[in-house]
Amino acid sequence: MLAVDVKNIKKTFTSKQDTVEAVKDVSFQVKQGEIFGLLGPNGAGKSTTILMLTTLLSITDGKASILGIDVETQEKQVREKIGVALQDTGIDNLLTSKELFFTTCRLWGYNKSDSEKRTEELLELVGLTEAADRRVKTYSGGMKRRLDLGLSLVHSPEILFLDEPTTGLDPGSRRVLWDEIKRLRDTGVTVILTTQYLEEADELADRIAIIDEGLVVAEGTSDELKASIGGDVITFLFETEEDIIKAQQVLTDSVQEKMELRITVEDGASKIPGYLKELTSAGIEVSSVSASKPTLDDVFLEVTGYRLEGSEEPVEETPTSTRGR
Amino acid sequence: MESNRTFLTQLQILTKRLLLRVIRRPLAELPNIFISAFFLFVYDGALGGVFGGSAQGTPFDFANGNFVNFILPVSIVSASVSGGASGIYLVEDIESGVFKRYQSMPISKWAIILAPMLVGALRVLLQAGLIMVIGKIIGADPAVGAVGYFMVLSIAFLWGMGFAGYSVAAGVRSGSSQGAQAASFLFFPALFLAPTFVPREALRGWLATASAYNPTTYVIEAMRAIMVDGWINDIIFKGFIAAGSFAALTLTFAVLSARKATEKA
Ligand SMILES: Nc1ncnc2c1ncn2[C@@H]1O[C@H](COP(=O)(O)OP(=O)(O)O)[C@@H](O)[C@H]1O
Ligand SMILES: [Mg+2]
Repeated sequence: MLAVDVKNIKKTFTSKQDTVEAVKDVSFQVKQGEIFGLLGPNGAGKSTTILMLTTLLSITDGKASILGIDVETQEKQVREKIGVALQDTGIDNLLTSKELFFTTCRLWGYNKSDSEKRTEELLELVGLTEAADRRVKTYSGGMKRRLDLGLSLVHSPEILFLDEPTTGLDPGSRRVLWDEIKRLRDTGVTVILTTQYLEEADELADRIAIIDEGLVVAEGTSDELKASIGGDVITFLFETEEDIIKAQQVLTDSVQEKMELRITVEDGASKIPGYLKELTSAGIEVSSVSASKPTLDDVFLEVTGYRLEGSEEPVEETPTSTRGR
Repeated sequence: MESNRTFLTQLQILTKRLLLRVIRRPLAELPNIFISAFFLFVYDGALGGVFGGSAQGTPFDFANGNFVNFILPVSIVSASVSGGASGIYLVEDIESGVFKRYQSMPISKWAIILAPMLVGALRVLLQAGLIMVIGKIIGADPAVGAVGYFMVLSIAFLWGMGFAGYSVAAGVRSGSSQGAQAASFLFFPALFLAPTFVPREALRGWLATASAYNPTTYVIEAMRAIMVDGWINDIIFKGFIAAGSFAALTLTFAVLSARKATEKA
């Protein structure tokens, strides 16, 4: 059975002023036990998709099911199967993480002694045992994210939804969370996560769907996506603008980025000498040249027509979307 | 049956959690209790000398010789505004995202809404109770006997629940803590457009008219009957009706607003 089956879902927000098609047409399937990444820029419709799949928003059109259970009509059964960590972490700053775990365990129906046991387990799992008796207010961003992850695991859900679990974190904290998420996958949990980071999708997700302006524009494993570009990327670096302009006559299918020109060809390494000869005979000086396998970055550019900007440095605290209450 | 028990357990857990939050912020309790106690001391200090024991035998003896009895209801009504915290508790959880988290869990939405109201109610009982203790220490002595304290507390409780309901509705509708806080702004004019310092017969002109339409008037008068005059049943009854109707009205409003807020967009 599929962990998640999404068929042409759509979400339209209607207010007095206007209508927003936040999700236009999204379909994907997630197999049990895999990490599935929804990769896309801010405003692509990632959170809206997650909120629909976790029963927190109604689905305007289309169908979605979790482990064969319909999301729209069987809310309660779905909620029992899933764990959710939303983009805006829902954490009570005045309490300690021990108190938060205990309360959440009790709300999931554990009795007091089981709740105590489970609390210890989860604190250990997300590495917060040391900080367990401190108010959450004093936690770092990374600790809060780990706490949030832990709170979504209380009832040992089979399917876990994580909306931008590492946005705003430093590389170290991000890596700690990645390891955590991989460990969960290895114990059989299915993970659906969203991210704006190419690197995160590449490193963490078994399969990726690229989402842009409410549409899924590509889907597959990282390798499949890269292979779909068809060949290798050759990058030529030039000294002068003049050389670039002249080189563009020779390398007709190239894409320019700063002082570089890139072309995508089959079997790139073997074609480099030929290109170099052509360029030199046209009197163009090439300062360096290299062939590489396409990256996810190249894939993103190919399917959306633009680069996922600023995705490498930690972003400032994600702006809370103007979600109507 | 089973689901009823689950509901009560959830309500209990959520209430406990909110109480923990209250305990973590003890200073937040101070302003309202301080204002209420301040009213009691200042009004007793300023007016007790004239309208207390020394007014006996004069036409101004409306306090029956004990001005603390007469002014205590004003402080208690002021203390019961603390029920307005319910809406603030709820909105804080909406703002922090905790509300969303609970919604993503199989928890009764009514337990989520009712828990802050219960804590508001508890707050009213504690604050009004404390004011009564202070009142007793400085000389309050209900005309109907000790049962009077219980009756006054019951009216205060209903009145406080009215503020709880109002603040929850306002908070949920505006989605902001300012909206919830507006509950207390509503209160101040209401407390003074009433026979706050003298009986209604002594009010004149527009204030006499305004106070007749102000439910606070009937709440204060009922408490005063209990404290100052004894079993004047129709006045006491009117106070219960005024406070009860206010609570019923705002709680209905709160339930309707909450239902709308928890509907899926
Ligand atoms: N409640 C809402 N009402 C109106 N528009 C919304 C609402 N929620 C999201 N949107 C809009 O839908 C689009 C997708 O938003 P979102 O799903 O949050 O994107 P992402 O999570 O990928 O950044 C954005 O243009 C956003 O402004
Ligand atoms: Mg988002």
